[in-house]
Amino acid sequence: MRLLAAFHAAANPNAIPAPHIEYRAILPMLIVFGVACVGVLVEAFVPRVHRAVTQTVLALAGLVAALVAVVANTGLPRRLVVQSAVAADGPTLFIQGTILALSIGALLLIADRSIGADSDFVAQAADLPGTEQERASVRAGLRQTEVFPLAMFAVAGMMLFPAANDLVLAFVALEVLSLPLYLLAGMARRRRLLSQEAAVKYFLLGAFSSAFFVYGLALVYGYAKSVEYGDIATSLTSSDRGDSLVIVGLALIGISLLFKLSGVPFHWWTPDVYQGAPTPITAFMAAGTKVAAFGALLRVFFVAFGGLAWDWRPVVWGVAIATMVVGAILGVTQTDVKRLLAYSSIAHAGFILTAFAATTRASESSVLFYLVAYGFMNIGAFAIVMLVRDADGEANHLSRWVGLGRRSPLMAGIFALFLLAMAGLPPTSGLWAKVAVFQAAYQGGAGPLVIVGVLASAVTAYYYLRIIVLMFSQEPAVEGPTVVMPGALSAAAIALGVAVTIVLGVVPQTVLDLADKAVPFLR
Amino acid sequence: MFSYVPIFALFLLAGGFAVFSIIAGSLTGPKRYNRAKYDAYECGIEPTPQPVGGGRFPVKYYLTAMLFIVFDIEIIFLYPWAVAYADMGVFGLVEMVLFIVTVFIAYVYVWRRGGLEWD
Amino acid sequence: MSPTILAAMHTSGTEAALFWIFGPIAVLAALGVVFARNTVHAALMLGGVMLILALFYAAQDAPFLAFVQVIVYTGAVMMLFLFVLMLVGVDTKERLVETLRGQRLATVVAGLGFLLLLIAGIGNAAIRTSEGLANANYPTNAAGQIQSGGNIYQVAKLIFTRYVFAFEVTSALLITAALGAMVLAHRQRVMPRRTQYELMRERFVRGAHPTPLPGPGVYARHNAVDTPALLPDGSFSELSVPTRIRELSAEQGRRPVPSSLGSAAGSDRSSAEGDER
Repeated sequence: MRLLAAFHAAANPNAIPAPHIEYRAILPMLIVFGVACVGVLVEAFVPRVHRAVTQTVLALAGLVAALVAVVANTGLPRRLVVQSAVAADGPTLFIQGTILALSIGALLLIADRSIGADSDFVAQAADLPGTEQERASVRAGLRQTEVFPLAMFAVAGMMLFPAANDLVLAFVALEVLSLPLYLLAGMARRRRLLSQEAAVKYFLLGAFSSAFFVYGLALVYGYAKSVEYGDIATSLTSSDRGDSLVIVGLALIGISLLFKLSGVPFHWWTPDVYQGAPTPITAFMAAGTKVAAFGALLRVFFVAFGGLAWDWRPVVWGVAIATMVVGAILGVTQTDVKRLLAYSSIAHAGFILTAFAATTRASESSVLFYLVAYGFMNIGAFAIVMLVRDADGEANHLSRWVGLGRRSPLMAGIFALFLLAMAGLPPTSGLWAKVAVFQAAYQGGAGPLVIVGVLASAVTAYYYLRIIVLMFSQEPAVEGPTVVMPGALSAAAIALGVAVTIVLGVVPQTVLDLADKAVPFLR
Repeated sequence: MFSYVPIFALFLLAGGFAVFSIIAGSLTGPKRYNRAKYDAYECGIEPTPQPVGGGRFPVKYYLTAMLFIVFDIEIIFLYPWAVAYADMGVFGLVEMVLFIVTVFIAYVYVWRRGGLEWD
Repeated sequence: MSPTILAAMHTSGTEAALFWIFGPIAVLAALGVVFARNTVHAALMLGGVMLILALFYAAQDAPFLAFVQVIVYTGAVMMLFLFVLMLVGVDTKERLVETLRGQRLATVVAGLGFLLLLIAGIGNAAIRTSEGLANANYPTNAAGQIQSGGNIYQVAKLIFTRYVFAFEVTSALLITAALGAMVLAHRQRVMPRRTQYELMRERFVRGAHPTPLPGPGVYARHNAVDTPALLPDGSFSELSVPTRIRELSAEQGRRPVPSSLGSAAGSDRSSAEGDER
C-alpha cells in the first residue's frame, strides 16, 4: 500500500521533488552514450560476420548526429543545467564539437584498421601472446569489435569532462573517458607484449592520478562545503578560513589534470603508451584526451579556483617551462616515430600551458583554437604513420623511413605538411595557433614563457624538419617498407586533417572568432 | 551508537565461540603425534601436483569475480534507493529503471558471449 | 524527537572508548599489511583495517558509508586482492633486489613529506570546529522543522535529485568494466571442445595407468597414510602410497617402502614411536 501511495505524491508531505533535467542541452552526450549502449547490444546479438560493419555505421551515424545536436544547441542560452552539474556554455559547445569532429576522424581510422584482414587490432585480447591459441584465433579471422563501443564510451567521457560543473561529475567523466582507453591501449595486434605493457603502465599511473583527484576533491569539499565550481569560487572569496586545505586539494586535483594532458613531471606515461598502443588509438588519445583534459583544466582552474590564481600561477609557469623543454629536448634523441610524436605532443601541451598561465579571456580563446589545430594535425600524422608498413606490420623506426618521399611523394608530402604544422610554419594552422597562444601569454604578463616557447619551437622544428629531409633527400632502401595506399575511410580521415590544417592556415579568422565568441567560461 | 550494540554482541558471541572451540578442542582431544598426519592428505588419492612456481589458476575465476563486482556496485545503488523509494514517486522509479537497464545491457552482453559458462 | 536525536549525536564516552580501542588495532594491522612476509597475511590484515574503518564510519553517523565499506570494499575489493594473489601464485617470492637504486630511500622521504603536508593541511582545518553530519542527516527544512530520515535517506535524496546525472553516467562505467573483463579474460573457443571420449583416447594412447590407483594399506598398529598396501603375493604395492607422500617420507628420512612385513614393524620406526607415545 505504501508503494501505491508513493505514486500519489501530492498526498505525501515528505515527497522528494523530481529533479529538472534539460534534455536538449545534454542531448549530444546522451546520443553518444546511447550509441555506445546500442553498440554493446550489437556485440551481443549481431552475428560475427556483420558485426564490424554494423558497429562502424552505428558509431559514425551516432557521432554525426551528436555533432548536429551540438551545432543545433548553439542557440540555447548559456546556463547551468541538470541541477547545476553541467555547464551548457560556449566553451562546452566548442570543445564538444571539436572532440566529436576529431573522434569522427579517429573512428574512420579505427574502422579502416579493423575491418581489413591486415588489422591493427588484436584478434582476441584474451589469448596469451605467442601461443597456439593466438594463431588459431588469427586463422579463424576473429576480430575484437568491442573496440567500437569502448571508443564511444571514451568519446562520451571526453565530452562530459570539460562540461562538468561539479567535481563529482568531473571525476566520473574522467573515469568514463580513461577506462576504455586503458583497455584499448592493450589491444594491438603486433608487438603485443609492448602493447600490454603500455596498457598496464597507463592503467597504473592513471588509477593513481584518479586517486589524487578524489583526494583533492575531498579536501576541497571540506573547505568549501560544496563540490560545485561556482560554490567553490564563492567560498574562496570569504577569507575567514585558512587556505591550506583548499591549496592542498587544488594541488592534488592539478596533479591529476596534468597527468591527463602530459604535463611534466607527470608525462612519463606518454611515450610508452603512445608507442605501444595501436596507432588508431594513439591518434584518438593524442587528439581527444588532450582536448578534453585542457577543457576541464581551464574550467576547474578558471571557474572554481580563479580566486587562488596568485597561488597557482607560479606553479603553472614552472610546469609550462618544464613541459616545453622536456618535449623539445627529449624529442631530438628519439628514433621511433610514434615516440617522437609523443614527445612532440608533450611540447604542444607545454605551449598551450603558456596561454593558460595568463588568465585572460584571450588566453581561453587561444587555447581553444590551438586545440582544434593540434587535434587535426595529430590525427592526420598518425594516420600516415599507419600507412608505412612492411612484412610484419608498421615500420616505426625512423631509419626505415629513409627515402619514403621517393616511393610515395603524395603521402610523404602530406606528412611533411603535418610536420610543418606542428613546427608552426606558414601556411598551416600551427602558425596561427602558436601566434594566438603566445600573444595571449605575452599580453597576460607571461613574457618569459613566450621566450622559452619560441626557443622550444625552434628545437621541435629541428627534429620535424629532420624527418622531412630524411624522407625526401635520400634514396629508399631496396627492401624497405612501402607506403600502403589508404582505404577509403583512412583517406577520408587524412583528407579531413589536411583540409582543416590548410583552411585554418589560410583563413583562421572564422574559427578564431568562433572561439572568441565561445568564451568566457560560465562563472 | 547504541543501536549497534546487538551487532557488537553478535561479534563477541561469534568470536568467543570460535576461540572457545579451538581451545576446548586442543585441551580435550588426544595428543598422538604422528608426523605423517601433518602431511597433505586428499582422501588417499594423489594430491594435485603443484607445478613449479606455484599453481596458476585459470583466469575464468577472475572473470567471475569481476562480474560480481560490477553487479555489487549496482546493489549498492539499489540500497539507498529502496530506503527512499516511498517518497520519490515515479521519477525515482524511472531513474532506477534506466540505471538497471543500462547495467542489464552489460549483463546481456556477458551472457550472450558465453561469459557465464563455466567451461 | 529532535533533542534526543541531537543529543545522541554528540561524542560520547562510548565513542571515545571505541576509538581508543580500535584505533591502535587498525594502525597495527596497517603496519602488518606493509611488513608481513606472507602475502595472504598482508591481505587479511588489510581486510581487518577496512572493517575497523567501517566501524569508525558507523560511529561517526555515516552508516551508509560503513555498509558500503563492508559490502564493496571488504567484500568485493578484498576478494579481488585475494583473487589476484591466487592468480599470480601465493608462493611467489618477492624479489628483494631493487631495480632502481635509491628507490626505497626516495619512497620513504617522499612518503614522509606527503604525510607532513597532509597533517599540516588537514590538521589546520581539524583544530577548528567541524560541522559533522547532524545537519546533513537530519536537515532543517524551509519551515524550520527538523526532518527525519537519517543518513541513508538523505544520501538517497542527494543521489536521485542533485547528483542524478553522475549516477546515470556511473552505469556507463559499469558497462565498460564488464566489457573490459570479458575482452581481457574471456577466450572464445575457436575449435570445439574435446569431449570425454577424445580425452580418454588421448590418455590411453599415452599409456597411462587405466584404473584408479589402490588406496594405502592400514595395519592394526599404524594409522599413517604412508603405509603401503599389501599385494596378494605379500609384496608391497608402490602405487598405493601417493607420490607426494612418498617424496615427503623420503625427504624426512623414513624409508618409504619396507622390504618385508617383519621389517615393516621395525623400519617405520618414527611412525611406530609416535604411535606408542
